[in-house]
Amino acid sequence: MIDLLILIYLSAAAGGLLVGSISLPLILSRGTLFALTMTHSVLGGAILGVYLNAVLGLGIPIPVTAFLTALILSILVAELSGRVFSEDVAIALVVSIATTITVVFSYLVVQVSSTGLAQAWLYVAGSSAIATSEDLQKMLSALVVVAPLMHLITRELKYIAFDLDGAIAMGLNVRVYRYLFFGLSALATSILASSIGILATHILLAVPGALAVKLARRAPYLLSYLSAIGLTLGGFLISQLLRIPPSGGIGILSAFAILGMVVKREQA
Amino acid sequence: MADVELRSVSYSFNGRIALEDVSFELDSPFFCAVMGPNGAGKTTLLKVMLGLLKPQRGSVRIFGHDAVREANAVRRLVGYVPQIVNVDIHVPMTVEEVVAMGALSRDLPPRFMTRDIRRRVEEVLKLVELDEPSALFQELSGGLRQRALIARALIGEPRLLLLDEPYSMLDFDMKCEISELLYRLHKERGVDILLVAHELSPCIHLEPIVVLLNKRVYAVGRAGEVLTIENLRKAYPGLTEVPAGFILGEDHG
Repeated sequence: MIDLLILIYLSAAAGGLLVGSISLPLILSRGTLFALTMTHSVLGGAILGVYLNAVLGLGIPIPVTAFLTALILSILVAELSGRVFSEDVAIALVVSIATTITVVFSYLVVQVSSTGLAQAWLYVAGSSAIATSEDLQKMLSALVVVAPLMHLITRELKYIAFDLDGAIAMGLNVRVYRYLFFGLSALATSILASSIGILATHILLAVPGALAVKLARRAPYLLSYLSAIGLTLGGFLISQLLRIPPSGGIGILSAFAILGMVVKREQA
Repeated sequence: MADVELRSVSYSFNGRIALEDVSFELDSPFFCAVMGPNGAGKTTLLKVMLGLLKPQRGSVRIFGHDAVREANAVRRLVGYVPQIVNVDIHVPMTVEEVVAMGALSRDLPPRFMTRDIRRRVEEVLKLVELDEPSALFQELSGGLRQRALIARALIGEPRLLLLDEPYSMLDFDMKCEISELLYRLHKERGVDILLVAHELSPCIHLEPIVVLLNKRVYAVGRAGEVLTIENLRKAYPGLTEVPAGFILGEDHG
């Protein structure tokens, strides 16, 4: 029992670190709407993966289809924005594509597999409060790749968000940084969704970064990590106390964090 | 060959003409102001000169380099100061970070704030008379933001500064201060200046070379020669004459 609890909280902490590494660059590069694309795409990709495995018996790991779908759809957002549509319209269109994939393949998966929809649902609400050593391994592997690279490109992402034309004029290869960011975000999001669910991932992507930007003048990354770990650990604790999925516990805690931010802002 | 040379440059967005057969030459040292109404193609002209937009016709050469084919070489020689409204002030960046961006972006990754970069930031901030490196950019007044952006361009030690509407969102005194600063940089540090603006009153006493632009170039030369009522009538179709002078239209000074 104690081993299981340790595993759960280690996974939560690793998830928190993973979230902390992408949440701040997401907020700094003004990409909260982009997070919407990412989470919808991961969900669509996960359900597509469940369907393909059920029909073709391929045995593809679901995070792989989720990652690839999120990567392709986020690149689509990048290519559409600015050239064909404004960024918000491009995001809305791509989210609608991702949602269509989710709806269509959820319907189809029910036709071919009795357990398919339940498997897909795990990607929405999270795999209850029980973590496996496989979850922990996935989180740690993703963390080792995502966190150092995110740290290396955060400055450039900030520059690009601050002044796109200026960044290009000064020689930054905007496309390379954007695609690297999309790839790392897609990887982190698909791994997080496979463990804590897309709802909790969606909440977690924005809150730690926003807290860090609002509250930390110096070392915002540290606050992003600490608040993300606090939200995942606290969320798991609440979910166990209230016997609800982890996404519920994380959601409740995040709501209080956002309220706290609003109150602090009002007082200032 | 002139230092800055535009030959028959045309550019259009989705069939809407922004620049049509634009040609002019500038020889260093120059302090030049491109003047024209809103929608005259002034920002497009700067982007074409920086190689950010590729003209459909014509060519741009900056200090002997083709702006399209040798964009990287051009960008090493040119500092760009964007229009303040095109900068997202909600991205939390300190003045030091903004200015350092001008130096770090030119280096290869990984980019770290070194002691040398900090020293260079301090130097250029002194040059533009801004002494708040740790202040957030969004907390600065309009004039100080403009100074920070000029410092960001200067840290790369450019031969030419391109400034997009440096007077926008500033009161008249602040506009004059920015003009004086640019003129000082031009005279003391030998930086060529090309700014685009829809009003020249803050810098007219500095006797810039004026390019009168409204999609086409209507005149190039000293202010006294260019700003004639005939030329202004051509470049500003909405121009209204009044007994005390003339009105160029809303927000054109």
